[in-house]
Amino acid sequence: MSWHGVRTIAALELRQRIRTSRWPIVLVVWVVLIGLVTFLAYWATNDPDLRSGEAMYDIVIFFVLGLSMLIVPSLTATSVNGDREHGVLATLQTTLLSPWDIALGKLLAAWTISVAFLASSLPFLAWAWVEGGISAGHIVLSLLVLVLVLAVVCAIGLMFSTLTARPVASAVLTYLTMGALVFGTTIGFGLSAFLVTQEETQQVYGIPESWYEQHQPPDVDPADPNLTPEQLEEIKKAQTGPTRADCTTFTRRASVAHTERIWWMLPLNPFVVVADAAPSQPRKVNGYYASGFTPMRWISGGSRMARNGPDDGVKQECDNYVGDGGSGNESDYVDPFDAAQRTAPVWPVGLGFLLLAGVGAAVVAGQRLRTPIRRLPNGTRIA
Amino acid sequence: MSIEVQGVRRAFGDVLAVDSISLTAEPGEVTALIGPNGSGKTTLLLMLATLLVPDQGQIRIDGLDPVSQPTEVRARIGWMPDGFGTWDALTVREVLHTIAAAYRIPPDRARARTDELLATVHLEDLGDRRARVLSRGQKQRLGLARALINDPSVLLLDEPASGLDPRSRIELRDVLRSLAAQGKTVLVSSHILTELQEVADRAIIVARGRSLETQSLDSDFVATGVASWRIDSLDPQPLASWLEEHHVPANRVGGGLTEVEVAGEENAARLLADLVRVGIRVIAFTPSQGALESAYLAATEDRR
Ligand SMILES: Nc1ncnc2c1ncn2[C@@H]1O[C@H](COP(=O)(O)OP(=O)(O)O)[C@@H](O)[C@H]1O
Ligand SMILES: [Mg+2]
Repeated sequence: MSWHGVRTIAALELRQRIRTSRWPIVLVVWVVLIGLVTFLAYWATNDPDLRSGEAMYDIVIFFVLGLSMLIVPSLTATSVNGDREHGVLATLQTTLLSPWDIALGKLLAAWTISVAFLASSLPFLAWAWVEGGISAGHIVLSLLVLVLVLAVVCAIGLMFSTLTARPVASAVLTYLTMGALVFGTTIGFGLSAFLVTQEETQQVYGIPESWYEQHQPPDVDPADPNLTPEQLEEIKKAQTGPTRADCTTFTRRASVAHTERIWWMLPLNPFVVVADAAPSQPRKVNGYYASGFTPMRWISGGSRMARNGPDDGVKQECDNYVGDGGSGNESDYVDPFDAAQRTAPVWPVGLGFLLLAGVGAAVVAGQRLRTPIRRLPNGTRIA
Repeated sequence: MSIEVQGVRRAFGDVLAVDSISLTAEPGEVTALIGPNGSGKTTLLLMLATLLVPDQGQIRIDGLDPVSQPTEVRARIGWMPDGFGTWDALTVREVLHTIAAAYRIPPDRARARTDELLATVHLEDLGDRRARVLSRGQKQRLGLARALINDPSVLLLDEPASGLDPRSRIELRDVLRSLAAQGKTVLVSSHILTELQEVADRAIIVARGRSLETQSLDSDFVATGVASWRIDSLDPQPLASWLEEHHVPANRVGGGLTEVEVAGEENAARLLADLVRVGIRVIAFTPSQGALESAYLAATEDRR
């Protein structure tokens, strides 16, 4: 393998792409689409409470990821078997190029194009940045993760194009793999959640059931003038809510989902990886958290909560039920997403897995391009 | 710089493409590989071109094994596939530059070599056209230029003459002869026999994946090999009975022509003299099949 060889192939691939296919048109459509989505996101969330910066950032990043997962596989998914079909692969294999030169050159070319697509979305991210609410560091980290995820997508497409004889088959397999990563992991997580949900005894600090039983209103008409003093006392008791002093520690049977056993499915999803890498941070407006549209933050927080699983200790419910007279107020309230955000991220696991898969795919592709060939797939000719 | 093939065999699944082929091709010679369609010529050339591993047998190119030393072999060979595509979007010149880069030829030398080869294959004025627009014959010539770009000492050409017009064929013949004269080993597969007879020094006849015989095509072979001659005469009846009397294998072909099998030019000349002497009015006496064609047909006769 040599840089010279990789560059030769990459230059050949890029030159062909630029000249033959409608990539310029695709790029224009791409920019127009992202521009449209950005503008809609700005329009919909341009409100002092919603603050468009975060929302625009989340929407644009996700849209770019989704759209590139549709476009990028087509860059490599037919590149090897397509070349074989056109009879131009073998003439390269009999030169001094190594199989790795060919595999990595094709990968580099596809990656370059996908990075160019990504780069064209920069102005819109810059707009989101100008709107405020997200730091440049966030944007850079997101883009970095995106670039790596796209490289993995390219590698997977390349691998399938070396594994099947027909370009249609490899394209289908690549898209199926993308679908499995995005939807399969989510559905898999949702379905297996049933398997890890069980009845458990839980320690709770809060208002026990017995308190409510004792504070049942008596079965009498409060307007009845002939009530005994005891009955009047009972009615009065039923009308007051529980106070902090009523909170005790008690046990309870409840169904608990041990998502910490299945959370690893979530970060295999490229969307989770990108979302968790750099979710927008909530910010307060006039001392209150504004409820912006921040899907990346929700996904990120949700995945981390799933990873953390249910709390082991005593479940604190006192604040939830104590109304007046309790000391709990807004400033003490902790947003569960926010709490999850402060725990360790899950994206390194997901990115690690994706990178491993990408390297594996590239290795398979390189192996499959080796000549002389001992076993030829049925129905293929080398030249 | 020779090619040596010993008992090579290759199957694709249950299709036995090459059963047992042995041959030698020497430097300074043009060796022809002839055989009917599907006889395994292309498969053999793929094995020689380091693309396929033989199931059995041994291949040596310049003493090197294409299976264990593919890179060394690739540096020495030029391979021209039979049917092939080109990168549609590239110009003829760019195709050659790309292949040159793949052989790690520095750009300035690649440019010089490209111009030189375009002149050799007469594509100079198409150099800046897209390779896609070339006609079949022109693509074939580009393929030859591509195979020659690394100045190989062993050339493997798979049906290089197919699709070429008569003038290009003659030019191809001259190119092959001059390559052989430079001491290169040239192995050409073809089924266009009349051409091969003029260009090849040796022919290896293959059928059903087996090498049947090696025929040297020197002047001796032409002078002594069995060939068919066509006789046109104004006296077909006396001619037929004379031939029968003298046990000359003959048969009538269309248009009042008679075809006879004669071994060697010497005998053909004597036959003509005899016919004229007995008063049969011969108006044409021409070879209808080259000696190579006859040998080929004889060797592959059992095909039917
Ligand atoms: N990749 C392949 N898979 C299956 N059969 C093949 C393959 N390549 C060649 N064959 C078969 O092997 C035989 C020899 O083919 P080939 O070498 O192309 O013949 P030729 O070049 O002499 O016409 C043919 O019957 C062909 O169908
Ligand atoms: Mg063939």
